[in-house]
Amino acid sequence: MIYPIAGLILGLVVGFYLPISVPVVYAPYVSISILAALDSVLGGIRAMEEGNFDTLIFVSGFFINTLMAGFLAYFGDRLGIQLYLAAIFAFGVRIFQNLAIIRRNMIQKLVSKRSEKEEENSAS
Amino acid sequence: MIHPFLNLLIKFREEKPNMKDASKTQAHIAISVICFILGMLLVAQFRSVQVSGAAISIQRAQELSTQLKTVTEERDMYKKELLELRARLAEYEDAASKTSSLTEAMKKELEKVRMLAGLTPGTGPGIVVTLDDSNLPRQPGEDANLFLIHDEDLLKVINELFAAGAEAISVNGQRIIANSEVRCVGPTIIINSVKLAPPFIIQAIGDPDTLESALKMRGGVIESLQVFGIQVNIKKQEKIDMPAYAGAIQFKYFKPAKAGEVQQ
Repeated sequence: MIYPIAGLILGLVVGFYLPISVPVVYAPYVSISILAALDSVLGGIRAMEEGNFDTLIFVSGFFINTLMAGFLAYFGDRLGIQLYLAAIFAFGVRIFQNLAIIRRNMIQKLVSKRSEKEEENSAS
Repeated sequence: MIHPFLNLLIKFREEKPNMKDASKTQAHIAISVICFILGMLLVAQFRSVQVSGAAISIQRAQELSTQLKTVTEERDMYKKELLELRARLAEYEDAASKTSSLTEAMKKELEKVRMLAGLTPGTGPGIVVTLDDSNLPRQPGEDANLFLIHDEDLLKVINELFAAGAEAISVNGQRIIANSEVRCVGPTIIINSVKLAPPFIIQAIGDPDTLESALKMRGGVIESLQVFGIQVNIKKQEKIDMPAYAGAIQFKYFKPAKAGEVQQ
């Protein structure tokens, strides 16, 4: 859990010092992309904790989801359909679900560790 | 281009069942790298959202509107004061001109110069041109800008009138003087720092026939405006009341050369 947070902080710091910015016209599409990226990362963390993490699926999912989310939002704007609403809904629901599952897993781990320790203590 | 990368990933994947620890560090590395990219993306997005700026807060808007109100009131007060002072100045001039023939001559000279500068109201024959936005039904996809009156159109008409010998011109009560500006400001046109909206009523004093024919010239200003359906109405009048320039005249930077030391 420490590595992803460290990576995120490093990314924020590096991004802060690099002169990168999104053109204002594309900002709405990039925000959808970021939502997709966040969803991918949380999904990856969840999979890792559940033990069925697959690097290929995770990495390809991150890039393709991110690009496709931005592209679909843009495409929807061209068509006059507010597709980005669908993306916000779909990704938003999944992000919160994954967050809940990650939280539960972590609490379970903590609780089981503590009970193990207690058992050890009582045994000795 | 992507193939080597994919092959690498597939290789990693195939090694997975044998080495559980290795796959776990691999997962950590993958997530960290992706988080790193996500962080950079986030910063880029923050920056662009900051640039476009969040909506102006209501408090700020209220502050600005009250400020505008007080400034407008102040301006109106000063305008009144200016008119009073001008009237008083005229009184002084009258009184002074009675004392000697020299001062009388000076007063006449002053009046002439004032007339030239557009500081005196007056009357005379001329024409009244009314311009209004087009009322033609607009086809979908056509540029709405073509059917509105722009600063350039007004400038062209004013220019044509001056060229035809107009001696004084006003637009919606704003006298055109030597440093009057005609400029687009959003949906309105600003002249002498006053915002004007259509219809524009242009008064010009001069020979009515000459002025009218100058505008109605074939291929002239009016014809080009009428192509886009802009409504033009020209009326000759025997007597036009021309307002004076009401704003203040200040020379902050310009200093006239003294008589006798004009550089050639």
